[in-house]
Amino acid sequence: MIEPVALADFFTVFFTAALVILCGGLYALLFAYARVKDTPRLMPLAYLSYAGLAVSALVLAHAAHLFDSAFWTLVVGLMLAGYLVAPHGIWHLCVGTHGDEDHAAPEPESPRLV
Amino acid sequence: MTTEAWWASPSLWRKSAIWITGGSFVMLIFLTFDTMSYIQAGGKQVPGYSIINQRVDYQFDEAKNRYVPVIGPEEPLFGKKLTEAEAAALVSKGKLNTQAKNCMECHTLLGNGAYYAPDLTKAWLDPSWGSKEVREQQMVEFLMNPQDRLHNGIGRRMPNLGITEEEARATVAFLKWMSAINTLGFPHNFKAIDQSDAPASAAAPAQP
Amino acid sequence: MTALGVFDSANLNGGQKLAMKYFAVSLALFGAQVLFGVLAGLQYLFPDFLYGVIDFSVNRTLHVNALVVWLLYGFIGGTYWMLEDEADHKVVGLGLGNLIFWVLTLAVVVVVLVYLLVQVGPAEMKSIWLINEGREYIEAPRWADIGIVVAVLVFFFNVVATFAKGRYTGIGGVLVMDLLALAGLYLAGMFYTPNVSVDQFWWWWVIHLWVEATWEVLVGCIMAYMLIVTLGVRRRIVETWLYIEVALMFGSGILGLGHHYFWIGTPQYWLTIGGFFSALEPVPLVAMVVHAVFDSGVHRLKNSNHPALAWTIAQAAGNFFGAGVWGFMHTLPQINLYTHGTQWSASHGHLAFFGAYSTAVIAFFYLAAQKSRGNVWMSGNLAGGWKWKWSMAFLWMGMIGMTMALLIAGYEQSQIERAIEGSSWVGYFTAQAHPWFVQAMKWRQISGYLFSLGYVLLVWDLFTIGKRETRPIAELHAPSAQPA
Repeated sequence: MIEPVALADFFTVFFTAALVILCGGLYALLFAYARVKDTPRLMPLAYLSYAGLAVSALVLAHAAHLFDSAFWTLVVGLMLAGYLVAPHGIWHLCVGTHGDEDHAAPEPESPRLV
Repeated sequence: MTTEAWWASPSLWRKSAIWITGGSFVMLIFLTFDTMSYIQAGGKQVPGYSIINQRVDYQFDEAKNRYVPVIGPEEPLFGKKLTEAEAAALVSKGKLNTQAKNCMECHTLLGNGAYYAPDLTKAWLDPSWGSKEVREQQMVEFLMNPQDRLHNGIGRRMPNLGITEEEARATVAFLKWMSAINTLGFPHNFKAIDQSDAPASAAAPAQP
Repeated sequence: MTALGVFDSANLNGGQKLAMKYFAVSLALFGAQVLFGVLAGLQYLFPDFLYGVIDFSVNRTLHVNALVVWLLYGFIGGTYWMLEDEADHKVVGLGLGNLIFWVLTLAVVVVVLVYLLVQVGPAEMKSIWLINEGREYIEAPRWADIGIVVAVLVFFFNVVATFAKGRYTGIGGVLVMDLLALAGLYLAGMFYTPNVSVDQFWWWWVIHLWVEATWEVLVGCIMAYMLIVTLGVRRRIVETWLYIEVALMFGSGILGLGHHYFWIGTPQYWLTIGGFFSALEPVPLVAMVVHAVFDSGVHRLKNSNHPALAWTIAQAAGNFFGAGVWGFMHTLPQINLYTHGTQWSASHGHLAFFGAYSTAVIAFFYLAAQKSRGNVWMSGNLAGGWKWKWSMAFLWMGMIGMTMALLIAGYEQSQIERAIEGSSWVGYFTAQAHPWFVQAMKWRQISGYLFSLGYVLLVWDLFTIGKRETRPIAELHAPSAQPA
């Protein structure tokens, strides 16, 4: 059973849902960039993005009445945990799969992608 | 040379891709079979075609916290009670008409289609038809000659699609049948046409 | 040796010659999509425009069908383009492939003419067989359905036989399985039922599993080939990542089908399945972001075709925003109850199709333009390089403008028509007459004109790019590559 969003919360839902994905993307981007450029000072910004994702997800979950049910609360929890570790996992996979390349350690020169 | 970890090897990921795809697909097949028991005509959420012999309403159900179709007393379409087979043939003709006239490229049915004209999910129950006494005839006449009828204040009109009377009546049957499908509360907050004047007998929800 | 910068089919292998034909028709159908989109948009503003002549339903049918067919032509072309390189063997049964191209194209022309001239039929099965199946996206009449399946099977034969005689690569293996699924799924849409719930259940199998699963993987295969060819990434790495993406995309996408099964009479558990897998669907996108950044750090994006690279980057961004952000904004059932069947879907549809697929096909057009002109220079300071940049700018400005306008219209509709008025006839038209909606439709139209301008520039550019160049293609490993 679901409890539909209240009219007054429509904007909140659209906005926070967009922010969840945007912050998730930004987190992944900053995380990978900080690693690839070897600039640890960018890392706090990455986690700040994740914090933005987490806040957005909680506001979204509240507005969409997700905490009313155990199932949806579990989905929110899984999503928060999953999006936290996903960039870490993918990064390990990148390093692992590129292991036999000539220059495994990326060189610091400005890429233009993204 | 290669010091590749086992979890980064192509063969592991090839196998993973195959197993995940296969697993998801098997799951989907299983769910499809189960869903069919709900959506076949006469299933748990989609009524048999002879439902057009009865009153169909749409009301808010407190316990379920959503709108549900409510099946009322006998109210045959066009005043003629049909057998299950006759009703199926009529609804089928109407459905075929909605495809042959490409209704879905302006309207939505169950919310799917184009957005140039109103949703048809509960068209049978729309208050715009006036009263339930004139509704059937209004719908038939509208379908046959929509071009010179008042639609709205913005000048958008349905074109004349050459719908015959037989096709129009079948389409109305299809629309009535479709309005009885349990769509889990979509559309929300829809206020159905007043059908209460007939002697109301035990009105029961469409599904337990 | 052919002249540099001049189109000459001697520059191409057999599969690539056939691919050029598919690309040409694809580009023309892209134009048809834009044209009929503009006409349909005008009808929102001037309802009497072409009323009773080419009604909205006809324009919309052609708009969405042209989309499906031009992308398919682009994918088929892309596959023939890479086939000989990938399999290291000449295309087997190329004559048959050519014949089928002409048959398929003739069929497309006949179907379009019937849509335009016959439009509707009586409520009999013969209308379904000969005129129009009346189901959004797969309107093609049944005779054409059968033709499409036959054509895809011949295409499938070409691909399988070529790989079998040459070599089976990882990309080839994924491609073959994916094409099999593509052809098989189409069959799920080829039957008639009076039961609208059953109808839409299987209809979504075709639409969703094509668009959100098999097409994604097909583009993944073509992109994997592009990475190897244009960026020089190692095959072993590219193929591992193709498997990873297949696992992530099919893992989230197949049961993601559930988000179409909220309100069509299907049981309640689809609300939970659809909601859960929708939350998973951005995962492949996150993976792509991380991997793209990693790759760019490793390879520094030396590249010999700037327009193709720019459209590839646009693909990554467009996919992320169109499918990821726009999808997730209205996918949870708690809000989808109100957004379902409004311009929300149109907003999402426009950005997602363009972002994920049109961009990829356009990138391939540029690869084809380069090779067919004798591997001409397409890097920095390209003569006449303003054209591709401006066409890209106009296409994107137009697309973002349309998407935003439709988003505002959908937001207004979800509140007024859906939530307050409960989707009644009066509620629908109240929302359609609202100033927000009317304004949005005007801006959508203006954006559509910008998009059309971008399309015209794109065609002009594709026909002329490289003409005044005297330099050959940039060496991949020379340190001269300049950013776009």
